Amino acid sequence: MKTRRALLWTGACAALGLGLALPTGAAETAPRWTIGMSQCNLGEPWRVQMNADIKREAEKHPEIKVVYKDAQNDSLRQVSHVEEFVRAGVNLIIISPKEAAPLTPAVAAAYKKSIPVIVLDRRVLGQEYTCFIGADNKKIGKAAGAYIAKLLGGKGNLVELKGLMTSTPGQDRHSGFVEGIKGSELKVIFEADMKWLEPNARTEMESALARFKQIDLVYAHNDPGAHGAYLAAKAAGREKEIRFVGIDALPHEGQVYAKQGLLAASFEYPTGGKESIETALDILGGKQAPKEITLRSRVFTAENVDKGGEWLPE
Amino acid sequence: MNTPAAPAAATGGRRGPLAAARSVLRFLRSPSGRALLSLALVMLLGFIFNADGAFLSWDTHRDMLRQVSVCGILACGMTLVIITAGIDLSVGSVLGLVAVLFSLVTIRWGWSPVLAVPACLLIGAAGGAVSGAIVAGFAIQPFIATLAMMVFARGLAKFVSGGQKISTAVPQADGTYQYVEIPEIFNQVSAKVLHDNVAVVTLILLACVLACGVLLARLRWGRYLYAIGGNEEAARLSGIPVAGTKILAYSLSGLFCAVAGICQAAQELQGDPEAGSTYELSAIAIVVIGGTSLRGGRGGMLLTLLGVLTIGYLEKILSINAVGEASRLMLTGAIIVGAVWFQRSRK
Repeated sequence: MKTRRALLWTGACAALGLGLALPTGAAETAPRWTIGMSQCNLGEPWRVQMNADIKREAEKHPEIKVVYKDAQNDSLRQVSHVEEFVRAGVNLIIISPKEAAPLTPAVAAAYKKSIPVIVLDRRVLGQEYTCFIGADNKKIGKAAGAYIAKLLGGKGNLVELKGLMTSTPGQDRHSGFVEGIKGSELKVIFEADMKWLEPNARTEMESALARFKQIDLVYAHNDPGAHGAYLAAKAAGREKEIRFVGIDALPHEGQVYAKQGLLAASFEYPTGGKESIETALDILGGKQAPKEITLRSRVFTAENVDKGGEWLPE
Repeated sequence: MNTPAAPAAATGGRRGPLAAARSVLRFLRSPSGRALLSLALVMLLGFIFNADGAFLSWDTHRDMLRQVSVCGILACGMTLVIITAGIDLSVGSVLGLVAVLFSLVTIRWGWSPVLAVPACLLIGAAGGAVSGAIVAGFAIQPFIATLAMMVFARGLAKFVSGGQKISTAVPQADGTYQYVEIPEIFNQVSAKVLHDNVAVVTLILLACVLACGVLLARLRWGRYLYAIGGNEEAARLSGIPVAGTKILAYSLSGLFCAVAGICQAAQELQGDPEAGSTYELSAIAIVVIGGTSLRGGRGGMLLTLLGVLTIGYLEKILSINAVGEASRLMLTGAIIVGAVWFQRSRK
């Protein structure tokens, strides 16, 4: 019918117009610098925290404005976001890439156009970026392993609940841990890939509990995993005889669990959001930024959460 | 059908071991019989690969039932939709949306469960009704309509939750967090009863299976679902309210998504906007392994229940044997194809 089609077209155009018109918020004073922030996904709470950290730090400096783009875990979409930032002429790009290889050319292109690029958390290949800020997952895994060895007196049965093993954090937190417990009599009797997810960790822990009568400690690659394992142990009535160690130590997650005594320890994996804005301001102000900034981590236990944790040795 | 070579007279008439054997064979060839055989085969695998006796302990079975309950509840609604020759891809997203909403209203707004639960069920049913209306009213294929709802509901869940999980840690304006008590309903739903032998969510699953079973077997609307799936034109011509029935099927699917969402939130003690991601594939696999045909017009809740147990045991056996992720995915894929091939109707 003609009228129905005309109606549909008018509706579609109106929706498109509305969608384009909505995002404009008039700025009272135009900020001096625009920073484009490309996040690979906002599905992980840790990345939501990274953006929140960036936002909080950026709000202290009214001369910068940050534009956020979320690639929803799609590398190609992230490449087009970087290209959009370049075309829009931003003064600096902060990027947390999903993967190294697909994002390297786009980052290099921006860098060659004299747009400074700060790479956060996950690396790109080569050297064509201004600064990389990240923590060392291998170091954290090794520190966790050493801590566990000390906690259990060098021997015990361990369950390792791994994050997605096709991602470098998972691989590094595993290899670091293995190195950390080397030389002790600790045995990993059960390991499974819980893909960073709490319900999966719970399921895998239930299987471990069904199979092994003696479990001393669970090492999970992230705090939700450790929490899921705790819930499984609690449901089986065995949470008092098992200890739990996680990684991330977000203030409303891992640090809370540590304080409540659910986790023996949570190792901080800093987001680097605050440091990225500080470094960005340095670069925009004309100062030279180091090529690599390695973030230090803290370990949080029930005793030291209120004191802000304890810094791991360099 | 094959008839045995021996003449009827030699067996002494209808009663006799050969006739009994024949009726057992006939049962085994029926859809429920084949589903039962698939389940039996999977359980046999469990006994063989029992991971140091873990498969033989009741705890493993109780945990398996708990783990599969949420997807099982989704499969109940999915069965109704598949019987009408439709599909509902939005079940995982609506689960996530309701998980977020339920957590929001109970943890942050302090609603009583007497208000929160019906409200969330209504939202789930409303979401399903929208899908159903799009399918029935605009003659858009169920795949497309529910795909759109899947994307929309996921976006809505992220919007409502602000992208973060809704837990007892309430963010304050200055960036710190304040902690509230977990509402009692969360503990009640995630509890175990009968001397810790059965999870509450398993009982909820059984209630959903029973409710759907009654609908399909005894109520008029159930028969309408089969008629529409079998031959929609004939159903329409014989006076069945096709549009209304379709909307009912999708609304019920949405309702069960809401039930599943509440169970998921209670078990996680939080509302996760990413909850239920890829659950729709598990729900479809459960229904299909049970023996309900994707072409519609055939199937039932007993088949879905058997499918739930089959998939549940399969995942549990892979888990207690610490099978690596890659092998798990390949095995599950192969077994789904195998089971469906085994199930197909030999007409």
